[in-house]
Amino acid sequence: MNQKSMDNTTGIIKFVILLIFGVLLMMPFIWMVSVGFDRTANITMPFPPRLIPEKISSFNYGIVFENGRLIQSYINSGIVTTSSVALQVGASLLAGYAFSKGTFKYKRLLFILVLCTLMIPMEPRLIPLYTLFNSFGLLNSFWPLILPTVINGMLIFLCKQFFDQLPTTLREAAQIDGAGEFRIFFTVYLPLAGPIAATMVILSFIWSWNDFMWPLVVLNNQELHTVPLYLASFSLENGTSLGGLTMALATVSILPIVVLYLFLQRYIIQSIALSGVKGE
Amino acid sequence: MNKENMKADTTVLPSEDVTTIKQKKRKATFTWYLFLLPSFIGILLFMVYPIVESFRLSFYQSNGTIETFTGLSNFQLVLTSATFWNTVWNTFFIAFFQIALTIPLGFIFASMINSVRRGQNFFKVIYFLPNVTSIVAAAMIFQFVLHPEMGVVNYALDAVGLPTSTWFSDPSTSKWGVILLAVWHWIGFVIIICLANLQAISPEMYEAARIDGASKIQQWLFITIPNMSGTFAFLLITGWIGGLQRFNEVYVLGGPNGSPARSIQTMGAFIYERGFTGFEFGIASAATYIMFIIILIFTFINLKVSKMNL
Repeated sequence: MNQKSMDNTTGIIKFVILLIFGVLLMMPFIWMVSVGFDRTANITMPFPPRLIPEKISSFNYGIVFENGRLIQSYINSGIVTTSSVALQVGASLLAGYAFSKGTFKYKRLLFILVLCTLMIPMEPRLIPLYTLFNSFGLLNSFWPLILPTVINGMLIFLCKQFFDQLPTTLREAAQIDGAGEFRIFFTVYLPLAGPIAATMVILSFIWSWNDFMWPLVVLNNQELHTVPLYLASFSLENGTSLGGLTMALATVSILPIVVLYLFLQRYIIQSIALSGVKGE
Repeated sequence: MNKENMKADTTVLPSEDVTTIKQKKRKATFTWYLFLLPSFIGILLFMVYPIVESFRLSFYQSNGTIETFTGLSNFQLVLTSATFWNTVWNTFFIAFFQIALTIPLGFIFASMINSVRRGQNFFKVIYFLPNVTSIVAAAMIFQFVLHPEMGVVNYALDAVGLPTSTWFSDPSTSKWGVILLAVWHWIGFVIIICLANLQAISPEMYEAARIDGASKIQQWLFITIPNMSGTFAFLLITGWIGGLQRFNEVYVLGGPNGSPARSIQTMGAFIYERGFTGFEFGIASAATYIMFIIILIFTFINLKVSKMNL
């Protein structure tokens, strides 16, 4: 009985600590939204900080949308991300399946090669990729952002692990019916790959949406800027002036992702956990 | 007996059938290579070629059009450049404190979330939120949050009687600003990974310990922590790999040269500055190879160190 009440109090203490720390973590977001609604924050930031602005106005948000560059960057990010996700997930499903169920020469060696790509960072590839796309006249287009995403070692690895768990007997049955390898893949295994495909889409989406260094190198044309590029150029131009506008812009850029996250949080958290657990 | 039978079978088989079986096998192998085709075109074109090409470039002086062979001089130039070693120091400093702070803190919070009866999912969602937002947007917000005069962090520190900091406005404190941002952004990831692995520890172990009279703290020290060593190793390795490649947030906060006074310029920013503001492709390539080797050696050391713990 005594033990139980002690457990209860430590439980409450833990809960309170978690709550306080959670509020601290959320504080930059809360402050961001608040300053974004502050009409005077572009001249002087509200100090001492306050939760509800003195002069509430949607002025800053109006400017952000009127400018049009944010919406353009959203469209750009949308095009790039959708294409990358489709290409990356498609290629990884095919390769992951082959590495799981296929029988062919050099299978092990090729798989090790795929795992090796996990060790290669972006930096040593930046300049040759830049000159490669430059020689095809493809700089300042979305192609350099989309095409290189075709190879992703992590996704192939996750996908192989998933197909490893599916029984091989399914294949044998289809083979007896005379189905070719591609038909077996598309009609038997792909329909079962829903969960891993969802995980792959989520991971791929996050990587592509947040990609920064490579787009920064290849996209000089402002009209093609993705969301992170637009934010960075705005921030570097204005520094810590125009606080209200900056915060409104940050809010609008984060909001859709946060909403999406809140809807899909269970799957997103599971996907991240999976990539970490399997990554071991 | 059986073996003999099989032997007999193969000798009886007409030679035509053998060739068709071989052909079928070859055709099947070919089909499997088709499955791999998109990925391996990608590996060749976007992994192997650039890695080889940037190795070649590191021995040349190049601006993308005119190339002259200069031997090892690019490497010499980078390795004797104080600016480069400053970026190595900055990168390691920020990564070290990010990791040293986030992994223990994240593990403690994950343990707490794992043990509360209510609101587990709520806390998970809240704590992971910073990690979902792009680091670029986060850096933009933190410029204001950590502003020395009008920032909310200094205000809060002052309000509870703690010393404030100059954060990004002074070279002596700017790295700590980046560290704070990095911890804030990464902790959710650490918590999620820790939680997933905490929940994989078998409850029977705790049951056995409880029967032996072990307290909650003892269970945490002697069951939980040893069982998590693989997870810590994973976080350590991915943390260092990510930390050594840091670029996005320092670019937003300090531009390509990591102002103030190059105090937050990382190796990645050095490469960007040399390669794409100066168009010194040879020097930048040499720097990327040095960075690549540093990352490989460091990952290797991390693997060794964490193996020892296992």
